[in-house]
Amino acid sequence: MNMNNQGGEFERRAAELLRASAGGLDGATRSRLARARAAALEPASRTRSWLDFRYLAPAGATVAAVLATVLIVGPGRQSTPVNDATGSALYDMELLADADAFDIAQESDLEFIEWAAAQGEQDGTGG
Amino acid sequence: MALPYCEGLALSASKDEIRRELNRFLADVERRAYRMARIALRHDDDALDAVQDAMLQLARRYADRPAAEWRPLFYRILENRIRDMQRRRMVRGKVMALLPWRRDGEDDLPDPVAEAPDHAPGLAEQVDGMGALVALETALARLPPRQREAFLLRNMEGLDVAQTAAAMGCSDGSVKTHYFRAVQALQAQLGEFRT
Repeated sequence: MNMNNQGGEFERRAAELLRASAGGLDGATRSRLARARAAALEPASRTRSWLDFRYLAPAGATVAAVLATVLIVGPGRQSTPVNDATGSALYDMELLADADAFDIAQESDLEFIEWAAAQGEQDGTGG
Repeated sequence: MALPYCEGLALSASKDEIRRELNRFLADVERRAYRMARIALRHDDDALDAVQDAMLQLARRYADRPAAEWRPLFYRILENRIRDMQRRRMVRGKVMALLPWRRDGEDDLPDPVAEAPDHAPGLAEQVDGMGALVALETALARLPPRQREAFLLRNMEGLDVAQTAAAMGCSDGSVKTHYFRAVQALQAQLGEFRT
């Protein structure tokens, strides 16, 4: 104890009390301190797994949470119902991809097509 | 090939020696360090955790530093750890206060600081009844953290001004100021208490 510049009686008494309290710790606390010291002085490799778990577990949980968020609300998981505009666009795409419709559009004999359509309407109403 | 082997042995012996030296150092300071942490945190397990963390960090990061530097380094790590724990405790308290599903009964859990006797009317009169040490520790816990650090490092641990400044990460002048104010505040609360 460096008492050279602590001449006051108050400081001396305080130092005595505090040091006595440190020296008079109960056995259980002294034992836990000794175990803590032994653990701190173990070679790093022996305590590495404990350290890894301690510091990597929160990091792993964070990564898992971010991944789950991306999977749930990411662009690949559109869960909202298809609205009319989207339905119409899909219908147009279907027409464009329809090979028969493309063939009809390429047909040069439009008069025949109009006649066939008129016959079909007549069959529907007259039949 | 023999030279590296010898060097390896020497290195290993050196590490063992450092470990033994560090063990002696930690055994010397651990009880006082625990008392300091206990006074600041007012919780046995938290104080033990803080000391253990400080031991681990010193052993892992600074064992190769000169032994003369261990003491201020150790107490600097310890004080940082204590502050972290106090901050975390404060944040946790604020978050818990905002939780809507918090049970009403949780408000009834005793807060050790709040439960401490109020010494404002005159701690000196109560010293004999409650024990000088308890009165001193209670008064220390009520000091601003930097004053408490300066007082305990200088008074209990016996560090000189320069070592205390290194441990606290401040100038020598700041240490003197904090220490002076701590003594004044403690004397104002305790008077010239008897042991």
